[in-house]
Amino acid sequence: MSLTPSLKPLALAGLLSAVAAIGGCSDSAFESSFAYSEGTLSLVREAREGTKANPGVKKLLDDRFGDPQQLKAWEKMPIDFGGALTSVAEVKQSESGSQVVKLTVEEGQSLPAKAGTVHFMTGACEGETVQVAQWNAKTGEATLAAISGNEIAAGDSCVIDRGAGLSTGRMLYMRHCSHCHGTSGDGNGPTARYMTPKPRDYRNGVFKFKSTNDMSKASRDDLSRIVKYGIPGTYMPSFLLMKDDEHHAIIEYVRFLSMRGEYERKLVAELSSDYSQTAYESRVESGEKKAEILQELDEFLAEDLKESAGSLGDDLAETWTTADTEEAAIVPSVPREANTPESRRRGRELYLSKTLNCADCHGIDGAGNGPQTIAFEKNPAKGDELYNEPGLHDIWDNLNQPRNLQLGMYRGGRRPIDLFSRIHAGIQGSRMPSFKNTPHEDIWHIVNYVLSIPFETEPGATGVAPSAAEAVAVPAAVTVPVAE
Amino acid sequence: MKKFWALFFFFWPTVAIISCLIAPSRGWWFPSAPMSRTGIQIDGLFYLILIIVSITFVGTQYALGYALWMGATKDSASRAHFSHGSHKLEIIWTIVPSFILVFISLSQLDVLAEIRVISKFPEQATKIAEVTARQFEWRIRYPKPGEKLTTEENPGDLYYVNELHVPTGKPVIINLRTQDVQHAFFSPQLRVKQDAVPGLVIPVWFDVLEVGNYDLVCAELCGWGHYKMKARIVAQSQSSVDKYLKELEAEQNEDGTKSEAAKSDE
Ligand code: HEC
Ligand code: HEC
Ligand SMILES: [Cu+2]
Repeated sequence: MSLTPSLKPLALAGLLSAVAAIGGCSDSAFESSFAYSEGTLSLVREAREGTKANPGVKKLLDDRFGDPQQLKAWEKMPIDFGGALTSVAEVKQSESGSQVVKLTVEEGQSLPAKAGTVHFMTGACEGETVQVAQWNAKTGEATLAAISGNEIAAGDSCVIDRGAGLSTGRMLYMRHCSHCHGTSGDGNGPTARYMTPKPRDYRNGVFKFKSTNDMSKASRDDLSRIVKYGIPGTYMPSFLLMKDDEHHAIIEYVRFLSMRGEYERKLVAELSSDYSQTAYESRVESGEKKAEILQELDEFLAEDLKESAGSLGDDLAETWTTADTEEAAIVPSVPREANTPESRRRGRELYLSKTLNCADCHGIDGAGNGPQTIAFEKNPAKGDELYNEPGLHDIWDNLNQPRNLQLGMYRGGRRPIDLFSRIHAGIQGSRMPSFKNTPHEDIWHIVNYVLSIPFETEPGATGVAPSAAEAVAVPAAVTVPVAE
Repeated sequence: MKKFWALFFFFWPTVAIISCLIAPSRGWWFPSAPMSRTGIQIDGLFYLILIIVSITFVGTQYALGYALWMGATKDSASRAHFSHGSHKLEIIWTIVPSFILVFISLSQLDVLAEIRVISKFPEQATKIAEVTARQFEWRIRYPKPGEKLTTEENPGDLYYVNELHVPTGKPVIINLRTQDVQHAFFSPQLRVKQDAVPGLVIPVWFDVLEVGNYDLVCAELCGWGHYKMKARIVAQSQSSVDKYLKELEAEQNEDGTKSEAAKSDE
C-alpha cells in the first residue's frame, strides 16, 4: 500500500505522454521535399545544378513548382490554384499612409474570412502579389503591407490568397495519398512496395482509366471518378466520403504533381543525350576536352534551354487543357448496340478474330491467360535481353497481367461507356492496346460480349442461358497464333 | 492518512453513482439514440446489465470503504482479529453471482436469437444488397430493380462503393461478405455489428427507424487502413430508395451518347 502514492504520479505521467505521442501528429510531421527524378540525377553536375551564370534543371524546376513547404503557382499551368476572385472597387490612403484597397466579390459569393496576400490578375500591377497587413472581412478593405510601384485602379481583378487551394490540396494529399503515391507523386510511398499493381507514378503524366482519346491526358472528371470510386481489384481505395471542396483541391494537386513531373522529364530530355553522366564520359573518352564540353553546356543552358523552358511549359499546359475539352473526349458515334445474343456472338467473333486478337492476351475464354502471358518479352531497357519472368510489362517496367474478364471486375468502371473507352483508347501505360480504328458498332458488340463473359456457362455460350441451337452456332475452336 | 484511503475508496463509488445517473440524459453512453428496433432492445439490455453491475460495484466499494474506515478509526492499541473465513458466506457469494449471470444470459437470449438466428428473422424482411468488405472500403451490390438478390452476381446488378441506401420503417437484410481478411460491419447509431468472415455469406438484418445518414465503419482491426474504412448508410423512404436505384441503373447503363442527346434536348 505504501508503494502506491509514489507510483501514481509515474503512471499518470506515462499515460499522459502516451496520449501526447498519439495526439502529436501535426501537419509539421509532413515536412518533406520533392525528390528529383532519376533522369535529373543522371545528368552531369553542371546540368543538374547549373553553372555560375545559368540555372540547371533543378533550379528551373524549383522556380516554377517550388517545394512542398513553399509551393509555387506557375501561371501557365491550367491548375485551379484556389483563392477568392475579387475586383478592386476603390483605392484609398489610410491615415498612416498605407494603401487600402476595397475589394468586392461577385454577387452570391462571400469574402474570405482571412486574407494573407492579394494577387493582381489585370491592370498595371498584373502578375504582382502583395502582402496584406490588415484585412476587414466585413467591408472588404485590405490594407496593403507595401505600396506597389504601379498604379492600382478600380476595376482591376485580383485573387485573395492565390494558391490557397493548392496548399490545401497538398495537406490532404499528404494525409490521404502520399503513403502510397509518394510526396513527389512518384508512386513510391512507404506502403507502395507491398502492392501490385503499384500506385500510379504521376510524373509520367500517364493515366490508365480515362474518357479521353489515346493520345490525350486524363480529364479532371476522369481523375475525379477514380478518386471517388477507387479502382476495384487494386489497392486504390474509394474516397467517396471526402467533401467536395477537399476533393477538388486534391485533384488539382495531383494534376500539379503530374505537371511538375512531366516538366522535369521534358527538361531532362533536352539535356540527356549530350550531358548525362554516361554521355559526358563517353564524349571525354572519344577525345573531347572536358572544359569544352562544359563550355558548350553553359551556352546550351544560357540559350537553348532557357528558351525551351518556356515553350515546354506551353506545350504541357496545352495538352492538359485539351484533356478537359470536347476535342479530347471519346464520344461513340452510335449508341450502344442492343445487348442481344446475336450482338454478343458477333462480339465474341471479333474478340477471337485475327485482326483484333483480344484472346492473344486475355485468352480464349477471357481468363486473362492468353499466349502472351506465357511468352518471355524483351526488356527494352536492356537491349535484347529477355525479362526473367514471362508475361507482358507496362511502361513502369512492372509485370502487366491482362485482365481476367471472367471476374466481372472492371477497374476503370463498369458502365458500357467505360468499357467502350478502354477498348477504343486502350489503357495508357499498360499493354492493353488502343482499337481506335475499329468501327464503333463493333466495339459495342465486343462490349456486350465482354460484359457477358462472367455469366457464360462455357466459353462462347454468349451470356445467360443460351438455347442449345445458339450455342452450336458459335465458333468453338479457334487457333490462336502463339507468340515467339 | 488512514482516513484518507478510506475516504478515497468511498469517493469512487460515489462518482460512479453520479455518472450513472447523469449519463443517459447527457448521451454519454451512446453516439445517438438507437435508430433501429433491435437497437432499442440492445440498449435495454445494456441498461439492465449496467444497473446490475453498478449496484454490485457500488456495494462492494462501499463495503471496502466501510471496512477501511472502521480500521482507521479504531484506536491503535486494539489488536487485529483473525478469522478463518466462513463457509456460509462463501456459498452465498458464489450462488448469488451465478444466479445473476444465469439471469443475464437468459434475459438476452431472445434478443440475440432475433438478431442472429436466421429462422427468427422477420418474415417480411427483404434482401436489399450485398455488402462486400475489402481492404479498405465497402463494395455494395444491389439486385436489378424488380429482381431478387442472389449470392451469385447477375447481369443487371447495380454496383456502388462506400454508400448503402436502405429504406426506413421496414426490416431489411444485407448479405455480408469479405474479399480478403476479416472485417466487421458496424453501424454505431443502428447498433448493428457483425463480423465478415472470409468464405461466408452472412445475412444481417436491421430496420432503420428514421430517415438520415448513419455511419458504417469497420470494427475488426483489418490492416493499416482499418481506421479509414468508413462508409455511409443513407436511410430514406422506400420511394426515394427506388428512385435512387433507378438513377443508379441509368448511370450504370450510360453509353456516352444518351446524355449527349439529353443535353441537346434541354
Ligand atoms: C493504398 C494505396 C493507395 C492510396 C492511399 C491511394 N492510392 Fe491512388 N492508386 C493506388 C494504386 C495501387 C493505383 C494503381 C491502380 C492501377 O494501376 O490499376 C492508384 C492509382 C491512382 C490514380 C490513377 C488512375 C488512373 O486512371 O491511372 C490516381 C489519379 C490516384 N490513384 C489518385 C489517388 C489520390 C488522389 C489518393 C488520395 C486521396 C490516392 N490515390 C490514394 C493506390 C493508392
Ligand atoms: C497485348 C495484349 C492485349 C490485347 C491484345 C488486349 N488486351 Fe485487354 N488488357 C490487356 C492488359 C495488360 C490489361 C490490364 C491493364 C491494366 O489495368 O494494367 C487489359 C485490360 C482489359 C480490360 C479491363 C478494363 C478494366 O476497366 O478493368 C478489358 C475489358 C479488356 N482489356 C478488353 C480487351 C478487348 C475487348 C480486347 C480486344 C479488342 C483486348 N482487351 C485486347 C492486354 C491486352
Ligand atoms: Cu476492415
